[in-house]
Amino acid sequence: MSDYTTGIIELDTAIGGIKKGSNIMLIGPPMSGKEAILNHILYYGAAKNENAVITVTTRESAANVLEWFQQNKLILPMSKIGIVDCVTKTLGGTAVENDNIKIASSPVDLTGIGVKISQFFEDFFMKKNIRKIQLHINSLSTILMYSNIQTVFRFLHVFTGRIKAAGAMGIYVIESGMHDEQAIATLKQLFDGMIEIKSENDKNLLRAVGLSSKPTPWFEYEIQGANVKILGVK
Amino acid sequence: MVETGIPKLDDFLDGGIPKGKSLVYYIQPGVEGEIFGMQTIHSTLKSGGTAIFVVSSTIPDIVKGQFKEYGWDIDPYKDKLFFVDSYNPLIGAPSNEKYVVQKPDNINDFNKIILDIIKETPPGTIVFGSLSTIMDLCGEKETIEAVKTWNKMAMVHDHVMVYNFTAWPYSRETLELIQGDLFNAVISIGGIAERVIFGQYFGVLKSDWAEITKKSMLFRVLRPGGVKLFIPKILVTGPFDAGKSTFVHALSTRAISVDRLGTTIAMDHGHVDYKGFSADIFGTPGQERFDPIIKLLSGESMGVFLVVDSTNPADFVRAKHMLEITKSYGLPYVVVANKQDSSGALKPEEIRNQFNLPQDVPVVPVVAKDKIGVFEAFEILIDKITGGA
Repeated sequence: MSDYTTGIIELDTAIGGIKKGSNIMLIGPPMSGKEAILNHILYYGAAKNENAVITVTTRESAANVLEWFQQNKLILPMSKIGIVDCVTKTLGGTAVENDNIKIASSPVDLTGIGVKISQFFEDFFMKKNIRKIQLHINSLSTILMYSNIQTVFRFLHVFTGRIKAAGAMGIYVIESGMHDEQAIATLKQLFDGMIEIKSENDKNLLRAVGLSSKPTPWFEYEIQGANVKILGVK
Repeated sequence: MVETGIPKLDDFLDGGIPKGKSLVYYIQPGVEGEIFGMQTIHSTLKSGGTAIFVVSSTIPDIVKGQFKEYGWDIDPYKDKLFFVDSYNPLIGAPSNEKYVVQKPDNINDFNKIILDIIKETPPGTIVFGSLSTIMDLCGEKETIEAVKTWNKMAMVHDHVMVYNFTAWPYSRETLELIQGDLFNAVISIGGIAERVIFGQYFGVLKSDWAEITKKSMLFRVLRPGGVKLFIPKILVTGPFDAGKSTFVHALSTRAISVDRLGTTIAMDHGHVDYKGFSADIFGTPGQERFDPIIKLLSGESMGVFLVVDSTNPADFVRAKHMLEITKSYGLPYVVVANKQDSSGALKPEEIRNQFNLPQDVPVVPVVAKDKIGVFEAFEILIDKITGGA
């Protein structure tokens, strides 16, 4: 199996795993289960593939992110988990950094977010000797609410490059329908592929584009607790 | 003159930033560079100056909290430190600060407030927390034109202008201007990267008042503490019973030894934090059978202390051999003439002669057990590693 997978077996089989250095956009409408899918990829990456996973969270506090796993009775290998929390300080909460959590001052502070990501990379790569690292950004849409597209593009240009250099994998969540098409097209230049999600007739569907020679079929899925269950192929 | 407060940088700049001059901290993305501006503010306040901090990427209250995290108490300076809040209006929140940029995406709004400050406040230090954020919101060309005006006016009114700038991939023209003509001095803050960034350094790229030293200093950011220079590893070696472990412990703020029956069998490890320098110290065992460890450790070291027992010239041959092992790696070194308080101790110059050491190798008199001379020896070695700047 490849160094990086989504943990959704049908999807992984269809794309044959994800190459090192890949940057992937995870795009879908609100409430379609993107969060659960991302958490599933996180858990699978850290617990099964033994990768380090760095999550930049702009909507939920780091504490909330970790609580989700507890509620779903999934035990994360904490030595492989890093969270950059961009929420807590903005809300005026008391935020203390520890081995797993670093605090950025706001979603506008891309410089600060970049520093925290780099620090986790150094921790995992140099100190813990973990060579397979996943970077999840949840979500670019929030960052785009505060900064314009050129700014976000420059930020991503740097960090997608670092993902390539480090042989890591990056996943970037975007809400579809929230940004104009030109913005999405601009950002797409930076990605190697995308996991696309849509809702049709009350059914949730997902597919991967650009990660294999042709797009995978649409898979119908359902979120069951912490599990992403594939119900069939459309 | 305003001191930057960054260890060694003020030496590089012949004392600091002269009044009327501008300086940019040019920061590679992912490197902890924004603290440089904050440290300069703290340095200004400490020396009795007035400081203005233009905050663009978070609310001023968070910045105040960051000062505390670094261990810098700004409370006594309430009438000396002012914030320009250009963040709260961006997110539609009210601001309690004296100066507020109501439209942070409009450079004219910035212009008006900054120029008012330059004209109306007594000469002080004006620090921009993130020039790149202003540029992101107001446009590259517009921001550069504004900076030109601010720097010009600051020169007339004797202010020191300091900018943090994260070098995202802006247009080449913009980056060249920032590294070139826009400021009187450019301090480059970068990362040592091999697949990932694992070390941070700064150096002077340009300065129109001080001669440029082509030297980069490694640093770490400590909370509390701020920017501290960082020497990854210094080796302490020397013959059996010369006092290496005692020296490591005397120098270190914290240290441990792996020993048996009082003699080191694997290594001593300590950490020094002294006058802006931060260093990890590794002591080797003295017995010959552990020599491979010296080779192993010295490979990644940046400098060496050779500790000798000044009362025991018989061991100098052995010391010389150990020195040769480390010297073969071309590392700078200092000879620590230990046990200077014992009767029969040879003087440093006598040791130099017995060793046949060149004049440029320092031999420092030390009594490690009483911590006499240990920090002098440390400073001398640091000077040698950094080229004596």
